[in-house]
Amino acid sequence: MGIEARVKALPGHQISVQQQQLMRVDGLLPSKVMRPEDADEAAEGLRLCDLVPAAVIVWGGGTQIRLGSVPGRYDIAFSTEGMARLLEYEPADLTCRVEAGMRLTDLEATLAAQGQRLPLDPPHPQRATVGGMIAANANGLGRARYGTVRDWVIGIAVAYPSGKVARAGGKVVKNVAGYDLMKLHIGALGTLGVVAEVNFKVQARPEAQATVLGHFDAALPAIGVATGLAHQYLAPSAAILLDRHVLWACGLTADWRWTLALKLEGYAREVDAARELAVRSVREAGGRVEGQDIPAAFWNAARDWSAPAEEVVLLRAVTPLLRLPALVAAIPGDAQTLSQPASGIVDLRVPPASAAIALERLRGAAAGEGQVVVMSAPGSVKPALDVWGPPPPGFPIMRALKQALDPSGILNPGRFVGGI
Amino acid sequence: MEPAKLESLLRQLREVVGDRYAFADPYEMRLYQYDASPETALPDIVVIPGTSQEVAQIVKICAGAKVAVTARSAASSLAGGTVPVEHGVVVTFARMDQILEIDIDNLRAVVQPGVVNLALSQALKPHGYYYVPDPSSQGACTIGGNVGTNAGGPHTLLYGVTVNHVTGLEVAMPSGELVQVGGRKAAEATGYDLTGLLVGSEGTMGIVTRVWVKIQPLPPAQKTLMAVYPDVETASNAVSAIVRTGILPAAIEMMDKLSIQAIEAASHAGYPLDAGAVLLLEVDGTPDLAEELGQRMSTVCRENGASEVRVARNEAERQALWKGRKGAFSAMGRLSSDFYVMDGVVPRTKLPDTLAKIDAISARTGYKICNVFHAGDGNLHPLVLFDAFKAGQYEDVLRIGDEILKLCADAGGSVTGEHGIGLEKRENIRYVFSDEDLEVMDRVRRVFDPNRLMNPGKVFPAERLEAAGLEQPTSNPRRRAAAVGAGDEMWV
Repeated sequence: MGIEARVKALPGHQISVQQQQLMRVDGLLPSKVMRPEDADEAAEGLRLCDLVPAAVIVWGGGTQIRLGSVPGRYDIAFSTEGMARLLEYEPADLTCRVEAGMRLTDLEATLAAQGQRLPLDPPHPQRATVGGMIAANANGLGRARYGTVRDWVIGIAVAYPSGKVARAGGKVVKNVAGYDLMKLHIGALGTLGVVAEVNFKVQARPEAQATVLGHFDAALPAIGVATGLAHQYLAPSAAILLDRHVLWACGLTADWRWTLALKLEGYAREVDAARELAVRSVREAGGRVEGQDIPAAFWNAARDWSAPAEEVVLLRAVTPLLRLPALVAAIPGDAQTLSQPASGIVDLRVPPASAAIALERLRGAAAGEGQVVVMSAPGSVKPALDVWGPPPPGFPIMRALKQALDPSGILNPGRFVGGI
Repeated sequence: MEPAKLESLLRQLREVVGDRYAFADPYEMRLYQYDASPETALPDIVVIPGTSQEVAQIVKICAGAKVAVTARSAASSLAGGTVPVEHGVVVTFARMDQILEIDIDNLRAVVQPGVVNLALSQALKPHGYYYVPDPSSQGACTIGGNVGTNAGGPHTLLYGVTVNHVTGLEVAMPSGELVQVGGRKAAEATGYDLTGLLVGSEGTMGIVTRVWVKIQPLPPAQKTLMAVYPDVETASNAVSAIVRTGILPAAIEMMDKLSIQAIEAASHAGYPLDAGAVLLLEVDGTPDLAEELGQRMSTVCRENGASEVRVARNEAERQALWKGRKGAFSAMGRLSSDFYVMDGVVPRTKLPDTLAKIDAISARTGYKICNVFHAGDGNLHPLVLFDAFKAGQYEDVLRIGDEILKLCADAGGSVTGEHGIGLEKRENIRYVFSDEDLEVMDRVRRVFDPNRLMNPGKVFPAERLEAAGLEQPTSNPRRRAAAVGAGDEMWV
């Protein structure tokens, strides 16, 4: 029996043409959908796929599914929508355990009812799932203050192609028993196993919140303000620099070329002091402070702007803070940008036709001390782009890890760094 | 090791580091046979490299000779993580103790593994910054050791443990290669997060030779207060009450009655001798905010059963309160010639129940048990007091420790919060992980170290190593007659 016939013989749901189109990845279509109901079923499903071997692409909400190189093969769409339960939540412990298919807004609502939150804000939380956030290491705008996914995941259960479910970490916030395999799966794009359950630590919602907008003629003084504030104890929880087009896309308008948006969060007294500091910093750098009320929708739109999308070439550059000016100088004139200067991150949307040149220029400017990744690109240009850039140091170990945990190479084949 | 092999290995290592820095004299090596656990084992050779390249060469030579390599710095761990249980070569970092770069602009510092934790924060202080993780042993323990165990400390409650503050590593791999992984100066790198995996891997995947850490601005002000309770249960409930208000203190520490008595006898921190439990709480903030949060916490403490709340009015009073806590372990010598320290974790809400059960164990067995611990994150450090010269007591105490760890695991916690599995808890790891869990971890380990030469005999249960067809430890660790006693070298 050939692979096609064996894929057909796998359990799971046949797929309608319409569904097939919805679960398309970089032009490839799945033959079948599997929808496990829990971790053990997920592991059993993977074991059967491994026997074929059938190529599996894991689907959560699909908000980050564009991330990665064009798949080498795609047989099974492995959906986590059947695994979306809240398993444990003890507000007084500031911890919870959930299944990977849970939508972020559902988790958010559960936590908010107890005055708590997970301070991670990846794009499109109404669709994005916990598992997808982990696989894509999808972080929002609050990373300079609150850290990233790796700082909030304290335990994990993963289904492997061996058919086994294995856990790491646990339910407590401080725990060094065994290896920290959570780190291995965060940002691994599902290439090492399917994350089935996740334990998080959570925090109390901040007492107060405020936004300060500063408008600038040039990017560098605004970057100076953002990186300067990152050195302060009263650092903003988010500091983003938007060009005029992106500001407009986020629902605001200004006559200035650049706008620095600062989100201030914390105890009421802290936010008052932070606001004062932020306003002073913007003014001292020659920026104009805007007094108008900022609609909450602005921050949501800014958060969603950096989501991969099929029709858009989205690039993300990450550099040390000091290298930001060099990077900004390399931004092509036809790009739209939203950056997080305090984290050394610049997100750009560029026209497909100039993507390759933009990528090369930015990689040159990052000069070995940073990286530029293609977060998404239309099928017409993606195959020509080097999505991840050169393999990072330690790549032979990464490849060996893949070999050890997914020996048949069924998980998201070809999509990760260095062709993993 | 056979004399001829030993001689040849010693000669090769001396070619790398120089005659002075590689030695095999049993008398000279005695210093390197233990850590703060009761276990000891003598290495065959001790090497003190001066550079990353030398470490890589040492690892390569040992791999070629199929000899075990164990990295060791200050050896303040409680779990035997640096005890060379299979002998071989101990690599120690006394000469690799330089802060290589303080990069304020990028909010990073680059250090060698032998840098003492506190030395880094002291070097950063004039600039207005610090390195956050602060194990109680921070005056002695090193950043390299902190990376090995993913060390914590009192202030990790708010700011996270070592792994949350390390962005990149240079590692001497078992192949002898020197590899730099992680984001180093940038926020992140592409590929799997090997940095995150290596932190806390207890030297079983490679030897860290350089560390990139995040630094952050010092808080402008801190407010420290001490709250006195009739018993540990009331104090534990007060901790939960504080957390419910939405205030997250930078540190919440608890000491029980026995500990208070020992601490007062040793350091006169000002803890009331008749108290059943004392909480030490600290908040960070701007001066106004710290003041306000201090007030709010005082109120919550009083409303939840505190008979007295004392707020440090100045830095000297703050230091005095902390001095008692940080010196708690050396103070235990006032109560007992020997003690055995555990490092278990329970969910915060399970603290009262767990402490009551530990109390019951004490009552049943007749051994006194003190509790000094990180209450905010549920990281317990029960100390079982005993006399090593009385027959059978040491064995009793090991059994009690085992029972306490089982209790923590059954409460949904962990068998180690900050010291690692090491040698001592490699059987206890089964309380929290199944065979399947350990099998995946072992597979990951073998990717780095297929011949099981990096700090062998650690982390995994002995039986699991045997089942995998791997060589058993060549000797049972010789238990020291007296477990580490009231020395100054103990902290948690």
